[in-house]
Amino acid sequence: MGVSGWFRFKGRSLFSWAFTFQRLTGVVLLIYLLAHLTYLSTLLDKTGATYESMIAITVSRQFLVFDILLVLCGVFHGVNGFRIILHEFGIAYEYRKPLLAIFTVIAVVVWLYASYIMYSLTGG
Amino acid sequence: MVRFKIRRYDGKKSYWQSFEVPARRGMTVLEALYYIKENYDSSLAFRASCRMGICGSCAMKINDKPRLACETQVLTLGNTVKVEPLDNFKVIKDLITEFDGFFEKHKAVKPYLIRKDDNYAEPKELLQSPEELNEYYVFTLCIKCGACYSVCPAAATLDECLGPAAMTAAYRFCADSRDEGQKERYEIASSSNGVWRCHLAMECSEVCPKNVEPAKAVQLLRRKTAFSILKSLLRW
Ligand code: HEM
Ligand code: SF4
Ligand code: FES
Repeated sequence: MGVSGWFRFKGRSLFSWAFTFQRLTGVVLLIYLLAHLTYLSTLLDKTGATYESMIAITVSRQFLVFDILLVLCGVFHGVNGFRIILHEFGIAYEYRKPLLAIFTVIAVVVWLYASYIMYSLTGG
Repeated sequence: MVRFKIRRYDGKKSYWQSFEVPARRGMTVLEALYYIKENYDSSLAFRASCRMGICGSCAMKINDKPRLACETQVLTLGNTVKVEPLDNFKVIKDLITEFDGFFEKHKAVKPYLIRKDDNYAEPKELLQSPEELNEYYVFTLCIKCGACYSVCPAAATLDECLGPAAMTAAYRFCADSRDEGQKERYEIASSSNGVWRCHLAMECSEVCPKNVEPAKAVQLLRRKTAFSILKSLLRW
């Protein structure tokens, strides 16, 4: 089957969606972490000029939409991650459906709130 | 008339073929497949035996969901019914998939009572309370149909992965108060193809036609193996 087996939605329940998004957002966070470390390594240039020039690209109005998407990935990954950890060893297995719904709502609410704050901070 | 769109495979190429089946109330997908085989194309290959949801032979993907063909009513599916072989299994012909590996994994977890006092000459009655039976009863209902394995994302990328059904069988015996083979099975279950491959996608429980709750069994087995490893590390 191969890796495409991680991305099968047709006929699948929401649990498969949650699994796939956990993987996808995990990979996005990993890529972000690498980009973040790249940014920090530019601070080796003690004048800070390299860092300033790079941050000028990403800390901007145009980048806000990417920031908001990144926060979505982070929030979903963290919140859904805690749901998965909770179910480890079969705990709360019987409540898996309501928990999936509740955790997804929490993720969306936190994401919307964070997006609103970020929007305000950039002078929206 | 209901249109059956069937994914076929002749050993070389895979293709879709459609058939019109006069559906009536009470007709199962399996009956429709027999209708096609008898009236249109005798070369259509599929597996079935009991026709009553007991043997586990007829699991296939029906309208994108793995189900037992003999337990699925045609009239609940709409005007078009899509039938495909199970995912995560190698297709041999049409709807028939390779199950040898699946059964091997089952065998590998020693799905039978292991006792130190096995003595066939002088058999002894082993008592069990209803509470003790309830510890594992639901996991005995598995019919080895492979539906759970076909949706498991771990099995999708690792052929050797034990998969939900075999691990459920392992847990079923480990949780049996009469069994004394836990140690052997924990060792198998904690191997690199065992319980730690589960990513809690939990789709297996969603598709199981017998409501065996394989996702729960895998996690309970994980708990048991984890504590047994911890105990042996701490020499408890
Ligand atoms: C609040 C913090 C976090 C929590 C609670 C969390 C939790 C989880 C959980 C429970 C899984 C699923 C494991 C499984 O499938 O069995 C997972 C997968 C993953 N996480 Fe995180 N995580 C967090 C932060 C991060 C960060 C910061 C990164 C990036 C560096 C990351 C990268 C990944 C990746 C790549 C996967 C996919 C691997 C897999 O599915 O097994 N996670 N995470
Ligand atoms: S656990 Fe359910 S889905 Fe899996 S093989 Fe057994 S009966 Fe089929
Ligand atoms: S034919 Fe036996 S389960 Fe369907």
